[in-house]
Amino acid sequence: MSLLELKNISKIYGDLKALDNVSLHVDQGEWVAIMGPSGSGKSTMMNIIGCMDKPTKGEVLLDGVDISKESSKALTDIRRDKIGLIFQQFHMVNYLTAVENVMVSQYYHSMPDEKEALEALERVGLRERARHLPSQLSGGEQQRVCVARALINHPELILADEPTGNLDEANENIVLDLFAQLHKEGTTLIVVTHDPEVADAAQRTIVLEHGRIADNRQ
Amino acid sequence: MTKRRMFLRMITASLLRRRSRMLIALLSIGIGATILAGLVTIYVDVPRQMGAQFRSYGANMLILPREGATLTGDRLAEVLEKIPQDELIGATPYRYVRLDMTSRQQSFTAAGTDFSQVPKTSPYFSIEGMYPENTREVLIGKNIADIIGVKTGSTMELTYQPAASSKTAGPEESRLPNAELAGSAEGFGGGIVYVSVKLDDRSAIASLGIDAGTQTPEYGGRTAEDQDFLNQFIGKTLPLTLGEDVDALSGATVTSEAVVQAVNTARKAETAAKPQTLNFTVTGILTTGGEEEDYVFLSLEDMKTLTGSDQLDVAELSVSAGAEQLETYADSISQDSDTVQARLVKRVTRSEASVLEKLTALVFLVTLVVLLLTMICVSTTMMAVVSERRREIGLRKALGASDGSIRAEFLGEGLFLGLLGGVMGGILGFVFAQVVSVNVFGSSITFQPLLLPVTIIVSMAIAALSCLLPIKRAVAIDPALVLKGE
Repeated sequence: MSLLELKNISKIYGDLKALDNVSLHVDQGEWVAIMGPSGSGKSTMMNIIGCMDKPTKGEVLLDGVDISKESSKALTDIRRDKIGLIFQQFHMVNYLTAVENVMVSQYYHSMPDEKEALEALERVGLRERARHLPSQLSGGEQQRVCVARALINHPELILADEPTGNLDEANENIVLDLFAQLHKEGTTLIVVTHDPEVADAAQRTIVLEHGRIADNRQ
Repeated sequence: MTKRRMFLRMITASLLRRRSRMLIALLSIGIGATILAGLVTIYVDVPRQMGAQFRSYGANMLILPREGATLTGDRLAEVLEKIPQDELIGATPYRYVRLDMTSRQQSFTAAGTDFSQVPKTSPYFSIEGMYPENTREVLIGKNIADIIGVKTGSTMELTYQPAASSKTAGPEESRLPNAELAGSAEGFGGGIVYVSVKLDDRSAIASLGIDAGTQTPEYGGRTAEDQDFLNQFIGKTLPLTLGEDVDALSGATVTSEAVVQAVNTARKAETAAKPQTLNFTVTGILTTGGEEEDYVFLSLEDMKTLTGSDQLDVAELSVSAGAEQLETYADSISQDSDTVQARLVKRVTRSEASVLEKLTALVFLVTLVVLLLTMICVSTTMMAVVSERRREIGLRKALGASDGSIRAEFLGEGLFLGLLGGVMGGILGFVFAQVVSVNVFGSSITFQPLLLPVTIIVSMAIAALSCLLPIKRAVAIDPALVLKGE
C-alpha cells in the first residue's frame, strides 16, 4: 500500500529546475534512502515531502491526500500529524531539557505527557539524561533525543535529513539501529544521506542528479 | 501535564535559562516601569507636596471686615469653621494702630497679633531672638531696631494716644431726649464759664449746672447760685435768646450772656479717652526684607489693654488648597456673612496654579518619553531575540507549531517580562519616588496601593505592544530553514 506518491513533480526557481519531472512511490513501512551530490535536488525533495514547500508542477499524494494544493496552514497540520522530522543539526530548543524537547513535539501535536516522553527517551537509551540541557549532551545523545522526539507522536513517516552527518561511527550505528527497530515496527522511513553506509541500511536507494532520479535500486 | 502548564514551562524556561538578552529586555521594562511608577507617584503627590511648599510664600487668603462692620476674634473663629481643618495651615489676626515711643519722640505702626499663628502664615519671617511668648513682650522690625538702637532684651515704653474725635456731634444733633450736654463760653474778663445741661424726654431743659468760678464772685459768680436765674432755664427748649427766653442777672450781663451761649453751644458730653502707656521687653528682631521691618508686633492682649478694643483689621490665612477650591471657600465665606469678606491673594494663588500646571505637564511629558523609549528598547531587544532564535522558531514550526502558537509563545514571553518588570518597577518606583520626594521636597511620600497593579498592567501592555513587530517577523520565518543543514 502506497504511503507517498510523487507524480511528475517539478520545482523551478527562475531558470533553475531544482526538481525536474520526478516521480517516486514509497510503500507503507518501506525504508528508503535518497542520495545525491549537493545541488542534486535532495533538499528540495525533502522540503516537499516534509510539507514545507510545494512543487511548481505535479502532484504529491501523502496517505492519499494531495498536498501540492494545500494551504500552508493545512500543510502545517499534515506535517504535525503524519511526519516525524530528524535533522542533521539536531535542532533542539537549547533552553529546554531533553524530556522537555520531546514534550514540545507532543505539545504541538496533542497533549504533553511527561511519562510517555520519558519512555521515548528510555527507548533511545537516554532515560538518565532526560533532565539535561542540550549543552550538556553529546552530539550523538542530542540526535537520539531528536529520534525520540520524531517518534513520540507515532507518525506515519519519519523523514531524516543527513541524520548521521554530524555523528561519529559509534553514534551513527546507534541511530541506524534505532531506525532498524522503527522499520521493524512498520514505520515508513525516508532518509536523505550522502553516506553509502547509511544508504545501504535502507531497503531501497534513490539517487538524484540534476533534479532527476538517476538511479532507483533495491 | 496540560498544554497550559507546558506553555508556561516553555516561557519561563526561555526567560530563566537564556538570560542574557531577556535580561536586557527585562531591565528596560523594569527601569521604564520604575521611572513610570515613580513619576506617577510624584505626580499624584505633587499637588500635596507643592501645596506645602507654596505655603511658605505666605498667606493666600485674607479675611476683612466689611465697610462699617468690625471683625473680632469670635467672628474670625466662626469664619474659620468654613475651611476644613486639615487644609488650614494657619490663620493670623492683625490689628494695626500707631503707637508713640514718647521718650524718643518716635511713633511706629504697631501690629497686634497671635504669635502662635505668625510662623504658619509667614514662614519667611526671620527672627533674631525669639517670638514673644508672654504679654508685655514685643517683636520689632529691623528698621525700627536700627533707628532707636534697641536689642533683644531691651525695654521700651509705648503709648497709645486716642485720636481726637473729629466726628463729635454738633450742638443741634446733641439735643436728643434725655441727653446730657456740656458747654463753655468766654465770660467776663476772658474767664471761661462752663455749663452742664440735662434734657428731659421732650428735649427741654430739665436741669442746669453752672461753673462760673472764673467770674467775679459778687457779680457773675452769682449766676451759679441764683435760683431765680437758674429756674428761668427749666422747661425751655434750646436755643435760647437772652432778653426773650431768659433775663440777664442784674449786674452780671456779660456772664449771663456767656451762660446762654454756653448752653446754646453745649454738646453731648464725651468720656475723654486717656492715653495708655505700657512697658515692653523686646524678645526678637524681625527681618523680612519687606515693610514688616517697620512694624512693632505685640500680642492682642496688650493691644486690647492699650486701645481698649479687641477689634481686628485683617486676618491672614494660609490654606493648602488649589486655586479653584480657594475660590469656593472665599465665596462661601463672603456670601454667608454681612460683616466679613474673604479675599484671595491672587499673586500667590495664581502662581501656585501655573507652577502646578507646568509641573504636571512636565511629568506627563517625561512619562510619555519614558514609555516610548521603553517600547523602542523592548521592541529592539525582542527583534534581536527573534533573529537569534530563528532556528528555534523554524524548528517549532517544522514540529507543527501553528502561527497562532508562535504568536502566543512570544506574546506570553513578552507578558511575562512585563509582569516581572512591572513588579520590579512598582517596588523600585516607590523607592525612587521616595528618594526624589525626600531630596527635592524634603518630605516623605504616601504609598499608593493602587500603583502596583497599575504599573504591572501598564508594563504588560507596553511589553505586549513592543512584541507586535518582532512577533510578525517570527511568524514569517520559514520552517524549511531547519532542513538546510546550516
